[in-house]
Amino acid sequence: MADRALDGLRVIEFTDELGSYCGRLLADLGAEVVKVEPPGGGRERRTPPFYRAVPPGPDTSLAFWVHNTSKKSVVLDLETGEGRAAARALALRGDVVLEDNPVGWMAARGLGFESLRAEKPSLVYTSITGFGQTGPHAGYAYSDIVGQAMGGVMTLAGEPADPPNMIYGNQANVSASIEAAQGTLLAVLYAEATGIGQLVDVSAQEALSMSQETAMQQWDLQKTNRIRQGERGSIPIPLPGAGVYATRDGHLVCFVLAPGGAPFSELVNWMREKGMAADLDDEPYREICDNLNMGFLTQLTREPQKAVTALPALMHINEVVAAFFASLTSNEAYVDGQKRLLLNGIVSTPRDLAENEQLRSRAWFKQLEFDYLNALIEFPGAPYRLSETPVAISRPPRLGEHTHDVLAALAERSVS
Amino acid sequence: MTKLPLEGLRVADFSWFGAGPIGAQTLATFGAEVVRVESETKIDSLRVVQPFALNEDGTFKSGYNASGYFNNFNAGKLSIQLNLNTEKGQELGYRIIEKSDIFLSNFTPRVLDKWKLRYEQLSAINPRLIAAYAPMQGLDGPHRDFLGFGAVLTPVTGISYMSGFPNRPPIGVGTNYPDYVINPGHTVTAILAALRYRNRTGKGQCVELPQLESVVNGLGTAVADYLANGTIQTRSGNRNPIAAPHAAVRCADDPTSVGSPDRWVAIACYDDAQWSAVCDVLGHGEAARDSRFATFAARKANEDALEALLNQWTATWKAEDLMEALQARGVPAGVVQNAQDLLDRDPHMKARGYYRYLDHPETGRAAYDGPPMVLSETPGVLRTAAPLLGEHTMDVCERIIGLSADEIADLMAEGVLL
Repeated sequence: MADRALDGLRVIEFTDELGSYCGRLLADLGAEVVKVEPPGGGRERRTPPFYRAVPPGPDTSLAFWVHNTSKKSVVLDLETGEGRAAARALALRGDVVLEDNPVGWMAARGLGFESLRAEKPSLVYTSITGFGQTGPHAGYAYSDIVGQAMGGVMTLAGEPADPPNMIYGNQANVSASIEAAQGTLLAVLYAEATGIGQLVDVSAQEALSMSQETAMQQWDLQKTNRIRQGERGSIPIPLPGAGVYATRDGHLVCFVLAPGGAPFSELVNWMREKGMAADLDDEPYREICDNLNMGFLTQLTREPQKAVTALPALMHINEVVAAFFASLTSNEAYVDGQKRLLLNGIVSTPRDLAENEQLRSRAWFKQLEFDYLNALIEFPGAPYRLSETPVAISRPPRLGEHTHDVLAALAERSVS
Repeated sequence: MTKLPLEGLRVADFSWFGAGPIGAQTLATFGAEVVRVESETKIDSLRVVQPFALNEDGTFKSGYNASGYFNNFNAGKLSIQLNLNTEKGQELGYRIIEKSDIFLSNFTPRVLDKWKLRYEQLSAINPRLIAAYAPMQGLDGPHRDFLGFGAVLTPVTGISYMSGFPNRPPIGVGTNYPDYVINPGHTVTAILAALRYRNRTGKGQCVELPQLESVVNGLGTAVADYLANGTIQTRSGNRNPIAAPHAAVRCADDPTSVGSPDRWVAIACYDDAQWSAVCDVLGHGEAARDSRFATFAARKANEDALEALLNQWTATWKAEDLMEALQARGVPAGVVQNAQDLLDRDPHMKARGYYRYLDHPETGRAAYDGPPMVLSETPGVLRTAAPLLGEHTMDVCERIIGLSADEIADLMAEGVLL
């Protein structure tokens, strides 16, 4: 078997949906990650969708599966003295403790950072919470949508007429987990070099801040707020080659006017080849199509007279473009357009992604063997490939699957 | 002073835009010396886009050094100008890479080929190198040369299809979302894991992070559900399958919120007790017993009516007051904050000191995102503001590459250090 980057690293995690993706990243890279779960499992195990071939239960939640691959599961009741003692012994066996409980919850159960470090100075202890371990909101109740709201990304997403939009996929949780994975590994490198452990404090609110893009700097430098602008962005009218288009079976997003790709005239060439250019070769459309880019539009905003005549033409050109894309499938529009160096992106559905020829040709999806379901189930692959220490993904654990083995090994160790 | 975890390591940062430079900035924050390789002949577009610092008369500053977009991703780095379209420029690039521990790039495979920056070429001159590549779609495969940036990736990875309200087209999330945390964060995670391996074995390696793969991996259950069950999920606005209400509700407008007066609070109720607390706080205790809303199943079945009612009740509340009142009862609730809130009004962000203020010769004192992982023994530090374009060309040429002043002058005249 190939070497793994995190071979020999022992992680004991006490996480539910906020921090479990962090543990997954470490586990897929080769760390031994033991997940300590309450009797019955946490919220993530009860979250749909479930694997449909069997009745739903804690061992069939896809929400749990995608954030808990390659781990072991131990059930301990931390509301009992016995459970806490076992958890503590386990935590002290680890190189890393990873947890996402409310501030003070672990300490109240004898599992806080200070108390464990007193016994094991090299321990890395990563706490992921909504708002971090300190500050006036440290005790605030958290869930993903609250993190997205307080972290500044929701205010940027959606139509101005609608409520602000949450980003799909528990992105506050995922962002916090990714920041925590980096923080944990930084602390591990330091502990392995010096023997000194430490606390890694991750706040989901802070983890999202960078995803405000330029809003933070815009306020800082110019004292104006970025707001959600919906489909049109900062441009008040539909422009040809920019924005969302309906296709025969879905949607395509175009950025043809942005720098970096082929010019708008290349889109017209393609439409002409398909017999869909309509009257765009006639004036006044032809001249506009030959010159249409951001510079042309900027010029228009400076010459209101010219804009008055150009606007109806732009709207007509856009209708012709819309009719063209409506005649193609999303995938045709995306792949054939990209082959012409036109900047566009398919609005992938989950099925489009499962069938994406790039992902397929790179063998990105992984077949995981679910022995207890007697099934091979295909899974999304890893975010990265490491040439010498490949990522390996194995199926997520059943609830308490390793309780006996892990506790037996612990007992044996304390006897010897 | 305590050493930082990456002290003594050098990073050759051959990246641009968001996803690459942010990752390299994290490495700088935790102690690495990061050499950002740039060129005026192929300028990082973020250097020349908004938001710019202002002149005293309120006009925008111009030039390569006044963009808050660029600066926020490049604190603590050195900047050398190097024209990689010249053979000598490529050779000098190699001499930096030879003396580096980590190489990072998010150029397309086409550019990597042109500038001879493939792993085989780099590992030949530095076998201990960890070379990290973060192209859009991968270093190979039929779509390897597809063009894109964060806003293209948002639809292609499924984020757009899955986010927003179902009655709207898939408009995306308002930003180049994957560029800022998901992709740089995954990249750094892999680099740090590779460093650990190198510490144990002395071996470098190639890290490849196709941005498409990185984002889809973090996209919840959407793809897994299709693969396992054949189900095609779609967007469901702000709702959640195990919580109701789960929404952003409108509060009273706040005219002091500049250009962004509409105020909203996100609320999530995972059980009846939380819902009951919401009813109490809003002065409608009777609603908790209303059969349309008394149980989770009932609230789910009547979610439109539930949200309409909530919005009526909250319309006159000040958003911050509502958040505090709900939080006092243990209900997950948070104001939909804008940047003004985060920088100036959120007492918690201030108390934690997340934003760092750094002096910069062209923008003046400006805010930077601090590291979002707070390490108690080795806290990261943004040592300097972002570099001016080519600010450290001399320093890097002399100290790292080992050129003489005369050689540097010649290379400048030849357009190599440009």
